[in-house]
Amino acid sequence: MAKQPNPGQKVSKNLAAIFILIICAAFVLVIKMVLDYSGAPDQGQNLRAKGNLNAPLQIVEFIDFQCPACAKGAQYLKTFMTDHPDVVYLEMKYFPLGMHRHAVMSSRYAECASQQGKFWPFHDALVEKQHQWKNLISAMPAFDVMADNVEIDRTQLNACLKDESIDALIIKDKNEGESYGIKSTPTYFINGEMVVGLKSLKEVLNKHLEEKK
Amino acid sequence: MNLLFFFRVGFGILFIISAGQKLIEPYQNFLYVVQSYSILPPVLEDLTARMMPWMELFLGVFLVLGLWLKQSLQGSLALVFIFLCVVGQALWRQLPIGECGCFGELITLPLHGVLILDSSLFLLIAILIKNVDKAGWLSLDRYFKKD
Repeated sequence: MAKQPNPGQKVSKNLAAIFILIICAAFVLVIKMVLDYSGAPDQGQNLRAKGNLNAPLQIVEFIDFQCPACAKGAQYLKTFMTDHPDVVYLEMKYFPLGMHRHAVMSSRYAECASQQGKFWPFHDALVEKQHQWKNLISAMPAFDVMADNVEIDRTQLNACLKDESIDALIIKDKNEGESYGIKSTPTYFINGEMVVGLKSLKEVLNKHLEEKK
Repeated sequence: MNLLFFFRVGFGILFIISAGQKLIEPYQNFLYVVQSYSILPPVLEDLTARMMPWMELFLGVFLVLGLWLKQSLQGSLALVFIFLCVVGQALWRQLPIGECGCFGELITLPLHGVLILDSSLFLLIAILIKNVDKAGWLSLDRYFKKD
């Protein structure tokens, strides 16, 4: 016959289990405190921002132009901002993911467009036509056509694309995003609160509209 | 020393690694993964994103230490079965999920790969449950039994 544990053993085991659970939870919380992903980006007034600066919803988006969810999110936000003017102030930051071949190049083009005051028309073209360029081996000819369509000066653009400070700016944005614990795109900070993905974005925006009623 | 012991510890470590990254990062990252499987209502998605990594962590630690081993193995079996169902339905519905998000960014696996991995784990845990005495080598359960 198998030996049955006595009640004292069971109490000791339960105490050990509780002790281990507490140690694990404390360990995780300490690591979370040390790494501190609780920050949020400051909202700025720059060429990559649009909307009412005093809007109740201040959004900073970290975008990868080759990410399909980002394209859907961008189109949703554009429609939302048209339907509800003055509700959102949106600022864009770059977060090119390593898995996307054209993520860095598209960010470079977007930043160069920004320096000519054409960020938003070029941004819209990039996300609307993403399905046309994302699978190309080289997307630069497609980006050039889009740049022409939004009347970007090609001479300035070509000089800008060779400028190393553009890469530095993109890397700075990405490093900033990583310091907040961003792993995927699109990630939004809405009034400082981190929101990942279109579904959560819709929930927050709809909740805001319902509260306003 | 036996192979089942290494399977038990290895499986526990896998759970701890999987949970660790999710717990340390902002929970919204894992919530995004949960949402991509489109299987739960929003409230439960949120709850799952907050609770699941803790369950993985506790089960992993208990497996490594061999505390409440049989119950921990049964819990792990249930959890892996849930993973199998969730991944299976995503494949069935052809949801646009590139990779599972199971291990954060540490390991990226396509859904078919996850299905194979989870099926193997399910089988392995079932074997461990069947041979729980052998798998309990160097376990706290044995230590408490000796007292």
